[in-house]
Amino acid sequence: MRILIAGAGDIGFHLAKLLAFEKQDIILIDTDEEVLDNARTHLDVMTIRGDASTSHILEEAGVAKARLVIAVTTSEKTNVITAILAKKMGARQTIARVQSPEYLTTEQKSSFAELGVDSIISPQQLAANEVLRLLKQCSLTDVFDFEDGQMSLIGILLDDNSPIVNMRIDEVDRKYDHIPFKPIALLRGHQTMIPRPESILRRSDHIYFLAKKSDVETLLTIVGKDTVEVKNVMIIGGTEIALKTAQILEEYYRVILVERDKVRCKQMVHHLHNALVVCADPSNLGELEEEGLSNMDALVALTDNSESNIIASLMAEEAGVYKTIALVSNTHYVKLSQNIGVDTLINEKLIAANNIFRFVRKGNVEAITSVHGSDAEIIEFRITKSNRVTKKPLGELHLPSTSVVGGVIRGDQCFIPTGDFRLELEDKVIVFALPEAISTVEKVFR
Amino acid sequence: MSPNTQTVSKFKIWLGTPTFNFNAIFQIIGILLMVVGVLMFLPIGFSIHYNSGDAIPLAISGLATVIIGAIMFMITRGKDYSVQKREGYLIVALGWFCMTVFGSLPYALSGVIPDITNAFFETVSGMTTTGATIVTDIEAMPKGILFWRSLTQWIGGMGIIVLAIAIFPLLGIGGIELFVAEAPGPVSDKIHPRIKATARALWFIYVSLTAICCVLLLLGGMNFYDAINHAMTTMATGGFSTKNESMAFFDSAYIHYVVIIFMFLAGVNYTVIFFLVRFDLRRVWSNEEFRGYLIIVTLIALITTFLVYDATDQNLEKSFREATFQVVSIITTTGFITADYTAWKESLTALFFVLLFAGASAGSTSGGIKLIRHVVFFKNSLLEFRRLLHPKAVIRLKMNKEIVPARILTHILVFLLIYLGIFIIGTIIVVGLGMDLTSAAGAVATSLGNVGPGIGDVGPVDNFAALSSPIKWILVFLMLLGRLELFTILILFSPYFWKAN
Repeated sequence: MRILIAGAGDIGFHLAKLLAFEKQDIILIDTDEEVLDNARTHLDVMTIRGDASTSHILEEAGVAKARLVIAVTTSEKTNVITAILAKKMGARQTIARVQSPEYLTTEQKSSFAELGVDSIISPQQLAANEVLRLLKQCSLTDVFDFEDGQMSLIGILLDDNSPIVNMRIDEVDRKYDHIPFKPIALLRGHQTMIPRPESILRRSDHIYFLAKKSDVETLLTIVGKDTVEVKNVMIIGGTEIALKTAQILEEYYRVILVERDKVRCKQMVHHLHNALVVCADPSNLGELEEEGLSNMDALVALTDNSESNIIASLMAEEAGVYKTIALVSNTHYVKLSQNIGVDTLINEKLIAANNIFRFVRKGNVEAITSVHGSDAEIIEFRITKSNRVTKKPLGELHLPSTSVVGGVIRGDQCFIPTGDFRLELEDKVIVFALPEAISTVEKVFR
Repeated sequence: MSPNTQTVSKFKIWLGTPTFNFNAIFQIIGILLMVVGVLMFLPIGFSIHYNSGDAIPLAISGLATVIIGAIMFMITRGKDYSVQKREGYLIVALGWFCMTVFGSLPYALSGVIPDITNAFFETVSGMTTTGATIVTDIEAMPKGILFWRSLTQWIGGMGIIVLAIAIFPLLGIGGIELFVAEAPGPVSDKIHPRIKATARALWFIYVSLTAICCVLLLLGGMNFYDAINHAMTTMATGGFSTKNESMAFFDSAYIHYVVIIFMFLAGVNYTVIFFLVRFDLRRVWSNEEFRGYLIIVTLIALITTFLVYDATDQNLEKSFREATFQVVSIITTTGFITADYTAWKESLTALFFVLLFAGASAGSTSGGIKLIRHVVFFKNSLLEFRRLLHPKAVIRLKMNKEIVPARILTHILVFLLIYLGIFIIGTIIVVGLGMDLTSAAGAVATSLGNVGPGIGDVGPVDNFAALSSPIKWILVFLMLLGRLELFTILILFSPYFWKAN
């Protein structure tokens, strides 16, 4: 299907990359020849140079045949106009990226929908939601619920205290035989791999499990993590993202927001009702400690400067803060996460791209999520037809080696399947797949 | 080797500092060989029909090529195929080398061309669509082998990698790098968002035009065997004929005009043909290179017609036909002949020698420098005068109403200089190896430009059989250089390629 992406910046490029793996027909529009050149040599896409908010460029891109138009340039006005024009010229569905929180109110959304902008996304908003998601289960680096929490995807970081470091996965499994120990994915450095029973776990490995709600606690004990509940959160920075995050977090936690600029602080107080806004220099450890840094359970660094965010997080780790999250502007930094000692690095553009990607895929699958620092996807399928998939055991389905069936939900039962497991009609299958395997996996299960 | 992952298991070989992903290289070359091998079975149909006795060597060659290709394919199956720029160039260069080596098996095994140098020369000349031949009596060749000879041109014309991308799914991301490295011309447009669909569209147009050409030749009274052979070598701008006298054998104005039109079409950018097929004439006409191509070919054909009419006692139609045929044949780097252009007039010989450097449109099957580079060079030189007069003016070169980026401009100028440099050095070496200057210049220019006939001893009615082995090897190298647009091969000889940075 034909997809037009306006804006070949970080979001546009990442999205094009994810969708190109899917063998979609992608046309990337941007005014900058250089970024287009980069996209053209690295991705299987067509590029058009020009302003996407003009009708002749949209026509050249074949907008009338487009299934989806995604406008993600840095200018929200361009995005909105592109989406409106595209819709009028025959695009089936449009998505526009906006900055201003004003546009996200329900009444605004409906008037935009009337004009032809079907969905509006704000990277800031999505990043704020992401921070909340990460804090809710903070001994985990990642959590995503399937089927209302019948099964969850959880990510755990192995640190020095973990008793299972330097053990083989099958050894661990045998040692704790009351619960299956079967990680579905392993992030080491910036490589994502599918672990085998004979794989050896190392320090700083990031392992992912699909687990029943009741098993999460047990898994955490095996891995050597305590469950910590977050109460106090410090947010650093006075950016739009920081404000959004504070607004969301203040509903759940005690929030302290630290920002250097006095004027900005006053503006933020206007929008925040429970959080404490402190005017202090975030790079000054003394000032942060005065505000009780060591009592914090989590620190979220959201200034404009990636390096400051990372440094602030490292200082917080040093001061004993349990969970640190830092915003980085460079998409390549995200993969560094655990290697440098910060629990989670987030990038609002990647989050936005992954969200749009999932949105595009929603119609095809039950649920889809991605893991931090990797392009791999975890997709849930429903078995609707009885065919080859239900007749043969899993081991004989010849799934690509870069994918793995992590869990099966049958009614109110959950299974961690092995090679001889046989699927049944109406089963929900949760598959972990690296980008290159996604389309094959989809073909098998749909 | 860490036992715990599947993704790390790529065997990367340490070579200098950079590492190459040999899995990808073997995998793709394996596929190319399998494609070439399967195609070797096609001529067997003609062998059996004409009972020419070359079916067994062809079958053995095909089988050997398929098996070796399959082995390379199987041992690297399911590994990591990430292809970087370096591997892209290496794959294309090695792929072409392997293809030509295996492509010469039918000649060698059947004993039609027993000499290794000659067999290799003939294959490279075929695959690069040059059309220079070392066969002295073409009509005596067995029909199956002769068909294989034409087929090599047809495969090489559109490019085997483009074919592989069209058929096989695995080339995924790396496909773009390969596509760019093999496709002729400084800029390669995609006519579809996905590379696979683009490759398919290209091959579809190619096959269709070949079929139409074949039918039109049949209507002109050719037998099926000659028609299919000539249709293939015309569309590939190759120039191998099944007759000793080349196209002059067919004394029919109709056939000559058909071939002129299809040679011309083969020299048009396939993107333009794509729009032509869809009757999007506005886009066809707005293509500056196409306009330039049409105008240049028409002008030169008319001038030559006049000169030929003046130099011979032929009537006007015959002069026009012969002049146009020769001009189109040389500009599109096909190399068919209906008349000896070196026999008309000294000035015409010089003109045809210069035309060896022309080449038709980028993104077509023709070889040579390609008109787009000439047009850019010419326009840029004109603008230079303007710049001298208006030192403060902002003057940028535009093609198709778009500014040509400085990087592409430099690339084109560097290409022209390297091309001429290689021509000069090549000529000096060949002269040093004992050829006279005129013939050497002709042979080098025609090989580098993938044309076929040259001037002097390698003129339109002569062939390359009498050349010494070292000269043949040099010409073989030049043909490959020309077909892969210099850089893909030359980059392998640059020190940067073998160093990490």
